[in-house]
Formats: sequence, C-alpha cells, structure tokens
Amino acid sequence: MTPDWIESAPKAFDSVLVANRGEIAVRVLKAAKETGIRGVAVFSDPDVGSLHVETADEAVHLPGDSLSETYLNSEAIINAAISTGAKAIHPGFGFLSERSEFAKAVIDAGLIWIGPPVEAIETMGDKISARRRMIESGVPVIPGEEIAMSDEMDHLGVLAASAARVGYPLLLKASAGGGGKGMRSVHEPKMLRTEYEAAAREATAAFGDGTVYVERLLTGARHIEIQVLADSFGNCIHLNERDCSLQRRHQKIIEEAPSPAVTPSIRSAMGKAAVQAAKAVDYEGAGTVEFLLSDNGQFFFLEMNTRIQVEHPVTEMITGIDIVQKQFEVAAGIPIGISQSDVGITGHSMEARIYAEDPSKGFLPAIGPLVMWRAPEGPGIRVDTGVREGDDVTVNFDPMLAKLIVHAPNRTAAARRLDNALANLRALGVVTNIGFLRQMTQHPDFISGNITTDYLDSKDISEFSEPDADPATLIAIAAAASRFGIDRMSGNIRSEKIVDEHTGHTGDPFRTLSRSFP
Amino acid sequence: MEWVIGDSNERYSAKFSNSEESLILSSLSIDGVEQSHSKMSFRRDSQPGRILVEINGQAKFALVAKVADSWWIHLDGRIHVVHGHEPGSADNSLGESGMTAPMPGVILDVMVKEGQRVREGQTLLVMEAMKMEHRILASKPGEIISVNFNKGERVDMGVTLVEIGE
Repeated sequence: MTPDWIESAPKAFDSVLVANRGEIAVRVLKAAKETGIRGVAVFSDPDVGSLHVETADEAVHLPGDSLSETYLNSEAIINAAISTGAKAIHPGFGFLSERSEFAKAVIDAGLIWIGPPVEAIETMGDKISARRRMIESGVPVIPGEEIAMSDEMDHLGVLAASAARVGYPLLLKASAGGGGKGMRSVHEPKMLRTEYEAAAREATAAFGDGTVYVERLLTGARHIEIQVLADSFGNCIHLNERDCSLQRRHQKIIEEAPSPAVTPSIRSAMGKAAVQAAKAVDYEGAGTVEFLLSDNGQFFFLEMNTRIQVEHPVTEMITGIDIVQKQFEVAAGIPIGISQSDVGITGHSMEARIYAEDPSKGFLPAIGPLVMWRAPEGPGIRVDTGVREGDDVTVNFDPMLAKLIVHAPNRTAAARRLDNALANLRALGVVTNIGFLRQMTQHPDFISGNITTDYLDSKDISEFSEPDADPATLIAIAAAASRFGIDRMSGNIRSEKIVDEHTGHTGDPFRTLSRSFP
Repeated sequence: MEWVIGDSNERYSAKFSNSEESLILSSLSIDGVEQSHSKMSFRRDSQPGRILVEINGQAKFALVAKVADSWWIHLDGRIHVVHGHEPGSADNSLGESGMTAPMPGVILDVMVKEGQRVREGQTLLVMEAMKMEHRILASKPGEIISVNFNKGERVDMGVTLVEIGE
C-alpha cells in the first residue's frame, strides 16, 4: 500500500530496492520502513546473514563470487527489482551509484531512479567534462589535466609531460576512482612511475577504467564539501558544509559540521558556488560538491559526488533534515519544500568512521569474529552500522564497520562526546581503529580544529598510539575470565537491553520504574 | 595457562584464591619470577561477558570475549588483547626469516628474485587485500632464499611469501 505522503506524488512508489550492502543499505532500508515504503535488499553469498538482509522486508540473492556478478551486476539487480515488484532503486554509495549506464538502465526498465539525471552523473563523473562545465558556469577549479590512457601509448612518457605542465606536487587520480582508491600523491618526478602503476592497478581492480587525471596538489588546504538538495521544479538549496580534512591517504577519518574554518561569508560563497555547480548540470536529488579551501579563504572545485555520501549524517544532525527521506521525495516528484533561509545550523556534529583495521600495522585491514559489539547510547549519539554482534568481518568487502555520529551544542562538547562514545563502543574480536580515533579526538591539533588534508600523512602515526595499560590488571582479568569459563559467546546473545514489561519498549529514556514522562 | 600481552615475550602466570563468589589474585609472576601486584578481586556478572573487577577497593566493569586462545578485554574505555599459551609451549611469533601474508589476498607484483640481496624496508611484493594495496617490506637486510608465490596468485593469511637469509 502506498503511504499517504507519497500517494498523490507524480511518480509515487510504494517499494524500493537498495542496490548496496553494509551500513548504507541498512540506513536506506530503515528510512524506507520508517516512511511506509517496502524495502528490498540484494545480497551475495558472504552477505546471506548480514544486517541489511535482516533489515529488509524482502531480499534477493545475487549468485556469483565476484562483485561484477553481484553488487556490480546491473542486470541482475534490475531483474531483482522487477521480480519483487520494487518500483524504485536506491544505489547508496560506491558500487553502481555513480554509473550513468546503470541509472539509464533503471529508468529504461520503467523503474524510478533515486538519484540525479543520467546526464548529471555523466558530466560530473567524468572529471574533464565536470571541470569544463564548472569553468563555464564560473565555479573556480584547480589546475590540472586528464589523460585517456590507451594500450599503444607510452603511458609514463605522456604522464611525465603532463605532470611537468601541471607542476609538482601533484595528485594522480583514476578518472573512475573514488573513496581514495586509485588516487596517489606524487611529490617528485622520480616517484611518478611507482605511484602511477599503483593508481592504475587499484582503479582497474575496483572500477575497471585506466584513465588518469593529473592535478596540482594543494598542500595545507582543507577538504570542505557542500551538501546540496535539488528537485525537479528547479529548486536547489545547500545544507551547509562538512569539513572532511582529517584524512589518511585520501580516506576520510573524522568528518564534522560546521567547519571550524568556515566563516559565514565563506559559507555563503561556497554554498552559492555549490548551488551554481548543481544547477549547471540540472541536478536533482541529494549531491555533494567538494572543494579545497586554502588558508587564505580561496576555494576550488574538486568534484561533485552525485549520490548520498558516507558522512551525510553530520549534516542531518545540524540541520535536522533527513537527506535520505528527501531523496525519496525528490525521486517521487515532490518539491523539496525547504527554502535556503529555512536551513540553519544547530550545534556541532562529528562522525568517526569505525574500521576493522590495525593502526599499529600501517592500518592493515583486519578480519575476525565480532564476538562482542555493543554500541554506545545516550543523548546526541547515533550509530549507523552494517554489523552486529556475532557477525564475521571478512576480506570480502570494505572494512568500514560503522559510523559513530555525535551531536552537541558546540565543537568542544562534540569532541568530548565523540571521545566518550568511542570509549563506550565495545567491539571485541576484531582489531579496529577505535583507540586511534580516541587519541585523535583528544589530540590538541584536533581540538584546536587546525587540521588540513595533509595533516596525518605528515605525522608519525605512533604519536596516536594508545597509552599502555597496567599489564598485571589485564593478565589477571584474562586469567579470571578463563577460570570463570566465560567462553566465546554465541551469536544469540545480541541484546543487553531489558525489555520493559509494560510498554514492551527497550531502554525508554523517559521512563523510570512504572512512571512515564512525556 | 601462561599469558602474553601483544608482541611481548614476557610470560605471565596468575593464581587466585577463592572467596565465596569472587576470585582474589594471590600471585602474579613473569617467567616464573614472582611480582608484586595490587589487591585485585574478580566477580562474575549476570550480564554475559562482564566481570566486576575490584582493584585496591575500586570497582569497575571489564567486558571480555574469547577468540581462539586470546582474551579480548574492554576496560576503562580501551580494548586490549591477552594471549593464552599452554605452559612450556613454543612462542607462536612468526619465523624470523619468513615474510608472511598479513591478510588473505592476491599477489599483484613480485619485486625481488631468489638470490637477490635486499635492504631492510625494501618492497618485496605488492599484494591486494580488501580492495587496497599493501606492500610487503623486508624485515631485515639479507639474501632472498625463496619467493614462494607468483604474480596473480591468491594467498592465505599467514603463509610465508618470501624467505630472507643472512
């Protein structure tokens, strides 16, 4: 049954297939459920028991071992939507989300595409055309050029010539890359070969495109991105900035909103530029325009991500706008219904990405059984997770387990809340970056808000090593646990919450004993 | 049972005396040498995986979980791992001469040949795991005794990729 809010929309839908996995699939499926839309998941063999499958109303198995047979298989995914009667497809991020052929195939199959128009994905997905369009529409860009690598070319020669024109230090990017994959920085000519080969390999492995983009690397700049929302009536607004400057090898670590470096006048200028960028490609739905902000307040267009982004929650926290819900509305042909002056900033939000990786071993991805996973709770704490206690963390997918998001009245309070919430994230059985994130949130440089994109790459990571604990205490606890016979817990003990016998609710914060408070 | 923290070689043993419901730490030794220690007692909690720890009269909770022979401990907002060994067993640390695969994955490139001399930190091979590239670096200077895998081969975690001799 089509829910009321969407019933009279021009392109109403009552069901959505989420062409993704992990936490973003869970996020979108929950949003669908909340709003009365039936959610359909897809899953490959290793995901048979995953949280996103459990969250969905229905799930379709995608047979095959490789990603191209499963989560990157447009045909199988569209067939899954048709066979389950799903009327719309939400691509999440990564996988097929920025493939215009997929968007086109979805639309051609008579389904609703929850994303921007095909042409917008095409233009923005290709870095050279995006650049050209931005220059035409007056959005400032960074010096750089793109090289389409063909087999018969002298790759290195062509690259070296281009690099000399652009100037070192530079950034090599695989045109179809993303999420830091297929992206390498080159500080001097002699490193060009090694870094190019690595970038090309990573990009072909993950995305199947060998094109390389050479761009001047601006050092000492911040990564500031603007969330935009546009509808099919020509309305386009921005939801302020996110600061994602804290990165390691172009992988974001902690994101926050608002940025400690963005003044109201910079915000307004960047917001305008982002809206201009979106309008230049007739954008619809939710998108992100990424900029580099230099310390003199100048900013340059980096790229536009034509999809929902990992760090979208920090924007939701400070604006109170549910971006996924807005994606549903726009796809259904409903106007966004919010004017720019309605968009405010309440407090400060931060998001830490929880990875199964070992910071002490060069951030090597870790695997193992997630024997205990107890997420922190409390005011201003949100956990977007793709895993639950008892799950196995395997080599099959990206090692991001969850996102821990906090919201507090100001930046100092948000940093403290994040640190405390991290301390209460009890993830046992798999090595994670939680301890590293805690050191980071306590670090004077982070607290001062003085972070640029090259910050961590220029640091000795041992500076963020956790303090040593008293070995005697740990040994005694292990020995005692062993004596008590507390063994590996089975997956059936998932919840530590006590269910209220009167209401059936768990952990109601407005309830003490038998009295409830509104 | 003997206990080791992280990569340390020190082997601890702990002995307890029982009171009604709790264990009281009575002795703690490193490699057989008795150590002085704080007053500690431990009580099982009703919640699975939780232990009430009392150190010098201060009570706190520890969350614990066992994976193979290791105990994972969450205490004071930090996560630790303690490894258990049968008394007298050999160290399970990795062989000195072998460079092992830190993750299951695929070999992308082999940069060295048998008989070649390498310096410490030199890249021996490049492998891909979880969509990311990892360089396997020489742990010490020496001569390559064997290269056990070729480009494109799939490897399991812990297998020896390259052996380095003197």
